[in-house]
Amino acid sequence: MSQRQLAMVMDLNKCIGCQTCTVACKTQWTNRNGREYMYWNNVETYPGSGYPKKWMELGGGFDAAGDLQAGVVPSINSDYGVPWDYNFEGLAKGEQLKPHVNPTWGPNWDEDEGAGNFPSDNYFFYIPRICNHCTNPGCLSACPRDAIFKRDQDGVVLVDLDRCQGYRYCIAGCPYKKIYFNPKISKSEKCILCFPRIEQGLPPACAQQCVGRIRFVGFLDDEEGQVFKLVKKYKVALPLRSDYGTVPNVYYVPPTEAPPKFDAHGKIIEGSTRVPMEELEKLFGKEVHEASKTLKDEMKKRKETGESELMDMLIAYNHDDMFRLDNNYYAEFAKSKGLAPSKPVDERYVSGKFTQKMKFFAASGVKS
Amino acid sequence: MRTLRTIILSLGMVGSLMASEALIVGKGTNLAKIGLDAKAWESVKAQNIAFYPQSTIEMSDADVMKLNADNKAKNVNIKSLSDGENIAFLLKWQDGTKSVQEGYSSTAYGDGFAVQFPTVLDKLPYIGMGSEGRAVVVHLQKATGKTYEPNGNKDVFHQVNSSNQNAFEANLKKYKDEVAQAGNGDYQRVYLAEGFRSTTQIRDNSEESMMEMKYDKGFWTGVIVRKLKSTNLDLSSGNFPVAFAVWDGEKKNRDGMKLLSPWVEVKVQNGKNLATLMETKEGDVKNGETVMMENCAACHQYKEVKNAPNYMAPNLSNIGGYANESYLIESIIDPSAVVVPGYNTTAHPNFPWYTVDKGVRSSTMPPFSHLDAKSLKDLVAYLKTLKVEVSK
Repeated sequence: MSQRQLAMVMDLNKCIGCQTCTVACKTQWTNRNGREYMYWNNVETYPGSGYPKKWMELGGGFDAAGDLQAGVVPSINSDYGVPWDYNFEGLAKGEQLKPHVNPTWGPNWDEDEGAGNFPSDNYFFYIPRICNHCTNPGCLSACPRDAIFKRDQDGVVLVDLDRCQGYRYCIAGCPYKKIYFNPKISKSEKCILCFPRIEQGLPPACAQQCVGRIRFVGFLDDEEGQVFKLVKKYKVALPLRSDYGTVPNVYYVPPTEAPPKFDAHGKIIEGSTRVPMEELEKLFGKEVHEASKTLKDEMKKRKETGESELMDMLIAYNHDDMFRLDNNYYAEFAKSKGLAPSKPVDERYVSGKFTQKMKFFAASGVKS
Repeated sequence: MRTLRTIILSLGMVGSLMASEALIVGKGTNLAKIGLDAKAWESVKAQNIAFYPQSTIEMSDADVMKLNADNKAKNVNIKSLSDGENIAFLLKWQDGTKSVQEGYSSTAYGDGFAVQFPTVLDKLPYIGMGSEGRAVVVHLQKATGKTYEPNGNKDVFHQVNSSNQNAFEANLKKYKDEVAQAGNGDYQRVYLAEGFRSTTQIRDNSEESMMEMKYDKGFWTGVIVRKLKSTNLDLSSGNFPVAFAVWDGEKKNRDGMKLLSPWVEVKVQNGKNLATLMETKEGDVKNGETVMMENCAACHQYKEVKNAPNYMAPNLSNIGGYANESYLIESIIDPSAVVVPGYNTTAHPNFPWYTVDKGVRSSTMPPFSHLDAKSLKDLVAYLKTLKVEVSK
């Protein structure tokens, strides 16, 4: 367990599935060779198969006894889908526009399909997913090479690309399938919570760019922060599939404020909600009922009295309040460890953390 | 029971064997560059060594567990050569499918082989990538397509996906060609390790080797040649132990999911032998089984004996296949002598296999130094029978 833990809260009542976060991440990090199919941030439609296909059924995580569960490494071909490109240049030569591979699956393949019958009770909602930077990461436990580490200063989970040998047990071990294999470099890569930005006091790109302002970022132990208040004080932000036992650090305000259902005559059924609580309970646990009640109570309170700290937070007035990051904290941390504070990049991300410790390497003077 | 396996090494400096050495030199090459098809191999006698499936720890990949559940041992045909300065091994093993890790795939794994050398000769390092104070140097060759450096050797421009480049037609093709050129299709690695979790790649060429592998008609052939003396190794004083492993990409083998040999003594002519390190003794296997049941079965699972809870201790089902007797005796009497930082303590937290105090690892297993000499001998004899059969 790290000394401190950064966390993110996403308010699913406000996610419009615009994929701006996805694109922000793609252009910031995953536009390089071998990362074409990777979405460190993706937005899925629920109910739906997600990305990779049926990720919730692919194993990993821990059982009640705390033992790591065997998982499956999804295939780019069938479970992620090969990212396709078009023959744009051929158009000038009279060719028909067509993808370079036959598309079989991809992110958002089943976007907006949802479940239920239109127009009476059909429903869906969006779940943006990034790495959960778990307190007990399945990927870290599955790695036979100690190539995955959790930073002490903020709990960010990173892959040490020097130590990683591309064995892919991490992918099997992660129940969220949020760590990916880069076939070009034969190593695993994942969301880094934009740590070079975080260390400079900036929120991750996905959070900064979010047009619905659904994302809050801060330290879980910062009692003044909105993340703390949403997660610990009001308990309206809940982890996704906490039954996997990895103790995730991305929290979701469940989408309890769905429209009502219609009866056979197209009339509103008063008091009904389109998103079944059983589905939300499956995703967010039994706590979802209490969270839903708190949200409704506070909404009522706000309507009646005009005051509610929780509702004001969820309205998301101010980025400064939503993102409680502290670059001084990182500067101080670097100073206490004798590191150069101006160098944001975690050295272990590119060079082996044991490299300097092994006496053989010290003796032969190898630079990592 | 014949467990001491030795490879008779033809030392280039003596007797009639000088002829074969001379033959290589005659072709304008020396042993340092000996290839798979070198004539020199023809006159060397080959020996079969059985490689056993690693089953001490479970690899947490559901597909791997399913595909490898019924693995048998495999005989690998090995030849070796030395010219007094270099040591070369030629391995030949059966593999029904040629598997290469290539293309845009997350589920392709390559076949491969590795050779492990000890940095110390007075004690046997742990077979699974050495142990503390007994480091090993491991040479690995995998069958892969082109792979790239993660940081692109700091060439950011060529790491950007081609569809993100502001280039078309000829320029785009040129860019793609430049990217392709940065790839390396020869996946060779050298590692230094003190137990499998500590495995660290050597990047300064201090342990140079030449490796090659070729697939032909259902068989892989692999060759490795390296110097007997280097920064971390000195194998020039006489006999030395060596260990091998092979991976089957078709069965998604990688990392610990492999077939491996025990430490094998490489016998050079007039070489000082390894004495007690490689010694084997006969014992009463039947009595050993009883000793095992009484003393070990409460914690260790082996073969059909599964009295112990899962993950409590290393599984001993194939221990007789890849562990040497001197290691077994040492580990029974003094379990803390070799404690590998290998097992992931967070994966199965209920049964830690060792504790760490001030950086010193102590095994959770109590010492069984109280066993009388006969019981110990019989127990080891029984442990040596714990292995799967060799596939025909």
